Amino acid sequence: MNKINKEELEVISEVSEQASRRNFFKKTAAYSMSALAAASVVAPVAVKANPNIKINPEDDLNIMHEKPWSLKFGDDVTVNKYGMPSPYEHNVTRRTTPILSSGNYRASIAVTPIQDLSGIITPNGLFFNRHHGGTPTINPNEHRLMIHGLVEKPIVLTMDQLKRYPNVSRIHFLECPANGGPEWRGPQFNSIQFAKGFMSCAEWTGVYIKDILKDLGLKPEALWMLAEGIDNSHMGRTIPVDKVLDDAMIVWGQNGEALRPEQGYPIRIVVPGWEANLCVKWLCRLEFASEPFYAKEETSKYTALKHTGKAIQHFYANEVNSVVTSPCPEKPWTDLKKGEMVEIEGLAWSGMGTITTVDVSFDGGKNWEEASLKGLVLEKSWTRFSIMHEYTGKPMLLSSRAADDAGHIQPTVKNERAAVGIEGVYHRNAIHTWEVDAKGEVTNVQILS
Amino acid sequence: MYKSYHKKIVVSTLFASAVFLSTACNASNEAKNTAETKSAAKANTEMNTEGFSKRVTDAVGPANAILSDTVTNKYDFNGKAIVDGGVYYPIINGKTGAYHANEQAHKTPFNKGKTATANEQAAWDIDVMPDGTGLPEGSGSVEFGDEVYEEKCLSCHGDFGEGAGLYPKLADGNAYEGQKSLMNQRVNPDSDGPMRNFGSNWPRASTLWWYIKTGMPHQAPMSLTTEEVYALSAYILYINEIKIDGELVDEEYVLDREKFLKIRMPNHDGFEPAIDGPMGQENARAYYNNPLNYGNGKGRCMKDCFEGEPEVQRITFALTDFTPPLSSEKTMPEVKETKAAHPGKAAYDASCAVCHETDAMGAPAVGDKKTWEATLKKGLDGVMANTINGVNGMPPRGGSALSDDELKQVVDYMISESK
Repeated sequence: MNKINKEELEVISEVSEQASRRNFFKKTAAYSMSALAAASVVAPVAVKANPNIKINPEDDLNIMHEKPWSLKFGDDVTVNKYGMPSPYEHNVTRRTTPILSSGNYRASIAVTPIQDLSGIITPNGLFFNRHHGGTPTINPNEHRLMIHGLVEKPIVLTMDQLKRYPNVSRIHFLECPANGGPEWRGPQFNSIQFAKGFMSCAEWTGVYIKDILKDLGLKPEALWMLAEGIDNSHMGRTIPVDKVLDDAMIVWGQNGEALRPEQGYPIRIVVPGWEANLCVKWLCRLEFASEPFYAKEETSKYTALKHTGKAIQHFYANEVNSVVTSPCPEKPWTDLKKGEMVEIEGLAWSGMGTITTVDVSFDGGKNWEEASLKGLVLEKSWTRFSIMHEYTGKPMLLSSRAADDAGHIQPTVKNERAAVGIEGVYHRNAIHTWEVDAKGEVTNVQILS
Repeated sequence: MYKSYHKKIVVSTLFASAVFLSTACNASNEAKNTAETKSAAKANTEMNTEGFSKRVTDAVGPANAILSDTVTNKYDFNGKAIVDGGVYYPIINGKTGAYHANEQAHKTPFNKGKTATANEQAAWDIDVMPDGTGLPEGSGSVEFGDEVYEEKCLSCHGDFGEGAGLYPKLADGNAYEGQKSLMNQRVNPDSDGPMRNFGSNWPRASTLWWYIKTGMPHQAPMSLTTEEVYALSAYILYINEIKIDGELVDEEYVLDREKFLKIRMPNHDGFEPAIDGPMGQENARAYYNNPLNYGNGKGRCMKDCFEGEPEVQRITFALTDFTPPLSSEKTMPEVKETKAAHPGKAAYDASCAVCHETDAMGAPAVGDKKTWEATLKKGLDGVMANTINGVNGMPPRGGSALSDDELKQVVDYMISESK
């Protein structure tokens, strides 16, 4: 108490003239936080909590010494009105690289640090972000959704009206079909973030388009739907009506909050399991037609050129896929000692259904062991897998291979190149392999056997 | 984008080449021999161990049993196979897949919103379809297109549509010849790749008109007149040496709506599945329900899945130009002083960033210290002269309407950000 200066004492005294000693302490805290902190600092910080303990060399000084943050107030509840990660996590960010840009960073992609994620939900601030003309800042009060074309009653909805439809919440991954696309002819990125991070997974809240269509009267000749955004690029994509009547949604919520601007605020379409490019952001218009629209992202882009010279167009679902996330180049095993048990963990996903099995190989895919699935196993969602391993310190080729309930299983690199060639760019889902060397360093490789 | 993009990665693939050549040949034979279209997936279909597996429902292992507790899936929807080759999760006993559902909510009509007026629909209906829906009457000449191109497109797409930096190529010589390149596979570092530009690759011309009208120029979409869009379309057809109804689009050509609708792109039939017409969606359904069309695993081999040691392809040319650089360190970030916005920043963002944001265009990128040091060797006056008069691919004043004073502020901003 003697460290509180006279002026402050006078203020406190005025307020607490009649107060008990107990209340006096409370008010000291409320009115004079900085003074109290200063009072604490006067005592030596780096001392062991108990003066009777003599520190030995094997003692961890992080335990033996008091930490500055345990000796003073932290921030009060009004400091972070919208909370942010610890500053120590500042290296956990989306990242980009110039070759993924069409000239500038407004038509580009920033990819998700899947090496740093746990579970199956991607935090909204780390959700991968690909756009074609920059992220707009849209006033939701001035935003409209038009649904027209081959419907009996074309309508316009405000955002409030749209949100009056009964909502559903679903956990789905979104994956850029070019995830892994730079590696058709061999590994390029010694990084899981760039090799596999063109995807994220979130809980989406919105309305099934089929629920709105009940009111509109879809005409029988309507086979295709155009979804269009109102950003700089006015991007559109064609979606078959079959999918619209199954599970395609217009969403406004992402992991419990409003969509982030980068994810299409105020609304986007989510086409579960399908190319994220189809999940048009900043959605303003749905038009139904009897013929496909041939949009700009349905040309040399978002079509997969095969070695026959023909390209697959309207390539919808992201096929079954998986990757080991621990270890990975960013999170190696360099800290392990021989004989230690370690969990090998990864992500599996399929745009066609639900993950049924994931196998792990330690010899580049010659022999396989079935891993455990872990946590929630949901359709068209990231699914965690796990297998325990006794670290031997011997080099290994660590691969994963997922299968889904649609009956699909990941191809080998050799199989996939044989089927498609090496110029496909999109929809690469071959088995992924990490090479772990004797030091525990992890490198991106491909197995051609 | 693709050419320069792949130029960078082709270096690494020498090793893969020989292997690929043999597998690619095998693949086409296999595909011919074993391709068959499945009408609907059935449970427990025999595994095809010769080629790629067909869709083999429930054939991938005992762990499939986990699905039966929580998930009910179907392989058809409204009596047809799922269009994407996947599965469908109907609502059964109040659940769809693992999710509970309020079935009543999906049956109630809501009738929200208002009827869209004809005017509102006309204002927003900006797409242009292959049959001419959405394509306005009008015309434009190659000659005028050349003028507009020089003013509004050249700085990104190059003198003759050859592209600049990572901005896309619009042409690569004769489109009919280019189309033949689509079978090319860059199996060797020096082999020619497929040309994937508008002329050689795109299936329909309507996309070009729609794209230019609604997306270009990149920094000012929806700003071109109908005549300018026709003229630019004509110019791009011209540099691709496209013929319309047998007639070459030459310097004298004037394009109008009627002629536009007669364009048949060289790669009109280069895509699968066939999506046009009343059977379009059915063709897609048949295509995706046959995984032989797009590659799939060979079944779930568990032991001795190949002979000998694994053949490993390693990175030979690593791409590491990441922003921000990779790091897993848990440290406090460096504190940067916050500065008041530079007076040149707004004009830079509006008029210059498109080219100077990265070095993709060959323009000195803002923040690139080395390049700016080199640029400044010609002195500030030299830099200003180039800014005002244009240099290399950069048009005078960067194609902007900024005054000398404003440009000076912009240059000052760019230099200050590159120290």
